[in-house]
Amino acid sequence: MFRLFLPIIFFLVGATFLISSLNLPKARLGDPYGPMYYPTLVSGLLILLSVIYIIQEWRKRHDGFPELELLLKGRTPFLLISTIVLSLIYAFLFEKIGFLFSTIIFLGGLLFIINGRKKWISNIVIAICFSGLTWYSFAILLKVSLP
Amino acid sequence: MGVDFNIVLEGLMTALQPINLFWVALGGFLGTVVGMLPGLGPATAIALLIPITFGMDPVSALVLMAAIYYGAMYGGSRSSILLNTPGDGSAIAATFDGYPMAQKGQAGQALAISAIASLIGGLVAIVGFILLAKPLASFALRFGPAEYFLLMIFTLSAIVALSKGAMIKGFISMTIGLLLTTMGIDLQSGVHRFTLGLPELSEGIDFLIVIIGIYAVGEVMFNYIGIDKIKTKSKEVGKIWITKEQWKRSKWPMIRSAPLGFLIGVLPGAGGAIASMLSYTTEKQLSKHPEEFGKGAVEGLAAPESANNAASVGAFIPLLTMGIPGSGTTAVILGAVVMLGIRPGPLLFENDPLLVWTFINSMFIGNIFLVIMNILMVGILVKVLDIPAKVLFPLILVLAFIGTYTLSYSTIDFTFLLIFGLLGLAMKLLDFPIAPLILAVIVGSDMEQNFRKSMVGSEGAFSVIFMSPITITLTLLTLLSLFYPLIVSWFKKRKIQKSL
Repeated sequence: MFRLFLPIIFFLVGATFLISSLNLPKARLGDPYGPMYYPTLVSGLLILLSVIYIIQEWRKRHDGFPELELLLKGRTPFLLISTIVLSLIYAFLFEKIGFLFSTIIFLGGLLFIINGRKKWISNIVIAICFSGLTWYSFAILLKVSLP
Repeated sequence: MGVDFNIVLEGLMTALQPINLFWVALGGFLGTVVGMLPGLGPATAIALLIPITFGMDPVSALVLMAAIYYGAMYGGSRSSILLNTPGDGSAIAATFDGYPMAQKGQAGQALAISAIASLIGGLVAIVGFILLAKPLASFALRFGPAEYFLLMIFTLSAIVALSKGAMIKGFISMTIGLLLTTMGIDLQSGVHRFTLGLPELSEGIDFLIVIIGIYAVGEVMFNYIGIDKIKTKSKEVGKIWITKEQWKRSKWPMIRSAPLGFLIGVLPGAGGAIASMLSYTTEKQLSKHPEEFGKGAVEGLAAPESANNAASVGAFIPLLTMGIPGSGTTAVILGAVVMLGIRPGPLLFENDPLLVWTFINSMFIGNIFLVIMNILMVGILVKVLDIPAKVLFPLILVLAFIGTYTLSYSTIDFTFLLIFGLLGLAMKLLDFPIAPLILAVIVGSDMEQNFRKSMVGSEGAFSVIFMSPITITLTLLTLLSLFYPLIVSWFKKRKIQKSL
């Protein structure tokens, strides 16, 4: 049944876009329905395509789902979830504690999770050096303003 | 109609200015390094390195971007030959005979052949560019909104039809991309569309976030599968030069494949992957000893390497003369070019000839530079392959996030980056072609504007098709590309029936 997950998401995306296209406020300039036509057309197409896709996947429902098994094997789910969590923490900290420290924490965290705890010395060295280097090249050389 | 040689010369002089030579060298080097990393292709290289061009003048930025592009193509074939892991479609053919050569202890010779073939392919294609670009630009002056709209439809359907996997998946990928470009304030009416009430979305989602998310973050997440099994160990490369015998065997395949690759590169939807595959099979058919192909035949490496580099030059013709990219990677370049304030289109050649010719001459210089760099520094370059994947992936993620931040200075984009990363992961896992989405994200907004403008000029939706001979031709080509898989299978069936 997991097979139907993504096709149904596509269907819902299409439906959401279609409903909001039809409810768009009318334009005061030019054709009042001008902003609607194109998104209505494209979202209608997406709905049609996802219905075909749902039917295709429904027919294969007894075949098993090797792709999902691949994703759930070994430490892949752990790596994915930790990456998502760390990224959200990074987004939260970035402007609060500044580029340099938040990047050291983010990169260090990723390295600990992916590269392993055993290599903690090299993880810390890489996290600090790489963060410093990128800060230097962006903030000083390229004059990008970073928090 | 003809080419004014003074301006070509002036372009050469500008390209030879020390600062532009520096950008060519830097771009070529960075592109090679990123392209060489397993799993990362030219599209990711450009997307990750775009922040460098912020604040540069457009000519230098274009020079740098192009250098990153063909540098990444060079780098891609390096990892194909040494590790059997191509960075993108156009580097796949280099694994067929390049990797067996490396296994036989001829890694150095394989690298040299690939570099020389790329140079020849690139140089032949640049001559083709000079001959073809100006006439095509003049032709494109006849294009109105309806013609552009249908040309974009044709390009999108061609890329869907040619991308591997089921067409339904390709079209879903395309429509998602098109819908993304409708988010934000509508340019013609000022109506807010699909902004979910977020002020950050009023200007829409930056195409670079989509690209960095899908290519870089998605790629890293996809590589988490089996990450503990990835082994990176650079080999001893040995002497980088080819023998007389190898040159004799590969020189004609290189020269033959270049024009073929160039012409395929000009076509929308095709590009390097198809050019290299086609030249590979052609050489195999022409060869006196086809049984050696796939086991380390020099021709089998020389031909696709020449063809894909020629295709990458050819792809710049529709890109610069019409603003139509032919592949995911060139779509990324178009997006970057537009961001620099350059408006590709038929008028670019008249309004800014110096930019065009500086760019073309810098491609010429860049190709020569890359061969020299690849031959002299290959020993140092392959050391990049020693970076373990487990260290490399966190670094790429950090670069992706920083690159995203420099686009809008807002951390809300980090969340979008993550969402597109997950979308990219799902698409790779389920074999969805990514190029249609990327292409749609880049041309989508223009496509809608052209659609609406042509609607104003016509009565009803379908009369657009019959507005001019060009629109009729484009509609027929679109239908042909949509039914192409059906036509091919019909011919195959007939052939089987005949042989029975």
